[in-house]
Amino acid sequence: MTAAYARALAIAVLIVALLAVPFVLPAFGATFWVSIATEILIWSLLAASVNLLLGYVGLLSFGQALYFGIGMYGVALSINAWNVGFWPALAIGIVAASVMALLTGVFAVRLTWHYFAIITVVFSLIFYFAAMSMKGVTGGDDGVSFSPPPVLKLGELELTLVDATTQYYVVLGVVLACYVLTALIVNSPLGLAFKAIRENDRRAALIGINVYRTRLIAFVIAGALAGTSGALFAFFGRYASASYMFYHVSGEAVVWAIVGGAGSLLGPLFGAGALIVFRELVSTLWEHYLIAVGAITICVVMFAPRGLAGAWNDALRLAFTRIPDEPARRDAFDRRNASEGGEAAAIIEEKR
Amino acid sequence: MSAGTALSLSGVTKHFGGLTAVDGVTIDLKSRKLNAVIGPNGAGKTTLFNLICGEIPADDGRIVFNGRNLVGLKPHQIVRHGISRTLQIKSVFGGMSVADNVRIAVLTNRRIMAPFSPVQSFRGVTARANEIIEEVGLAVHYDDLASTLSYGDVALLELALALAAEPRLLLLDEPVCGMGPEETERTVATIKEISRRIDVVLIEHDMEVVFDIADFIVVMAQGAILATGTVADITADPQVQEAYLGPPEDD
Repeated sequence: MTAAYARALAIAVLIVALLAVPFVLPAFGATFWVSIATEILIWSLLAASVNLLLGYVGLLSFGQALYFGIGMYGVALSINAWNVGFWPALAIGIVAASVMALLTGVFAVRLTWHYFAIITVVFSLIFYFAAMSMKGVTGGDDGVSFSPPPVLKLGELELTLVDATTQYYVVLGVVLACYVLTALIVNSPLGLAFKAIRENDRRAALIGINVYRTRLIAFVIAGALAGTSGALFAFFGRYASASYMFYHVSGEAVVWAIVGGAGSLLGPLFGAGALIVFRELVSTLWEHYLIAVGAITICVVMFAPRGLAGAWNDALRLAFTRIPDEPARRDAFDRRNASEGGEAAAIIEEKR
Repeated sequence: MSAGTALSLSGVTKHFGGLTAVDGVTIDLKSRKLNAVIGPNGAGKTTLFNLICGEIPADDGRIVFNGRNLVGLKPHQIVRHGISRTLQIKSVFGGMSVADNVRIAVLTNRRIMAPFSPVQSFRGVTARANEIIEEVGLAVHYDDLASTLSYGDVALLELALALAAEPRLLLLDEPVCGMGPEETERTVATIKEISRRIDVVLIEHDMEVVFDIADFIVVMAQGAILATGTVADITADPQVQEAYLGPPEDD
């Protein structure tokens, strides 16, 4: 129980810290870092989309940038074409990315392992080059810019993204909502089916799971996460560009997910956070800082294969868990049956 | 398919390239009896199971279960029709706890795929999972990761997964392979118990086990059925003796 408390406490501290960012950082004269924090939150969702596939379903996608890009264009084009508001534009970006994930996923999730990784890269390259060549619509490399509509307009009160603090809180709200939804999903029967497929897809089919359909559901949810990330990034940068659909962007998300800890819900946030802060601190001093990122990644994979979040969870487990002996386990099982409420215990008694 | 038939195969055939792994197998497996499929290595026993479960498509023939031809269905659809199986090389969800292993099997059987409610909130599912875990004797390993179990316990967990599909026909591929004498005895007792309510077909190399528990034995050799019958029929059959022991010698 204590490990669970420690985890809950850590999450509470994290949320308080995230809420405090726009007050604390400027107080230290680091106003610029508020926008870095915003960027970390946004990119962490792209890493979360990789993590959902890699960490929970066991599929390594190197093409999540495609859905990120579609999310960006969904926002930019819908605002420019139809002059829609903030929330409709966000929704259009997410839905467009999900639809793209569904269309490509129908083919991609028939494959696994490296075949899956390759087909996701291929899809993202196809649409990258398509977007690059359709300059009239997408603006190609230069992209299309737009002026973001206000987030909220209530009489006199108007919240806009021009204010860095407002922008941070809007992003934080959307990102936290995504993490909460993901948490609900991975702890649900659907999430357990994801994990079963990750662990053993043959056995999963033999207990009756429709492996193909379940993988497709996961792929669409991951597409929606990547799309949300892209949509938010479009608002953040006030533009959309085909260059963000390149597989380089996908690869970066994979690195964040792995360093943060694939299979841990908040791993992507830690991974994106650590590496983006590292980039901001080191890239101005040393242009080849990516060499160091590579070295860090290799070290994490070797010494903490479940990433930063995995190492943290392992530490908690070591600190709080003791392994009970057999009679104690027997007791625990009986107690659990009794405490499942009258219902469960009654069913068992009845069947005996 | 007559009454008293658990599964009816007719002319079931599978070729792998030039090799005929299963060669026109026609047989009615008996309901309410413990059926055993025996035969030397390479006789096609496991391939036959793979064909029944839809893991590989049959080239020819019909597999009729409960009045319905299963040929062409996918494995997950066949489970839903009431046939589940264990594998020769034991196969469970290693990175998940014993409890979660069985829970996902029960959830799937009940078609529960709710995306936003916690697994724990499905109390009936947990109750059923606990009951199965108790039945196979894994209660003390409830919270353990499946990957940390001993080989015998993994086999029991796999049996639990197969039971969680609430099958009417259970196919067991070498259920006691790799178990110690004590575990074997316990598992055999569990299988016997199960066979009172579920039709069972097992593949087994341990003749002592087969002769102890099987009511109806099918002997396969080179993809075809060599003999069928009770323990007494099989042990007296000269063809079976030849397949297993080679041609008779003078003593």
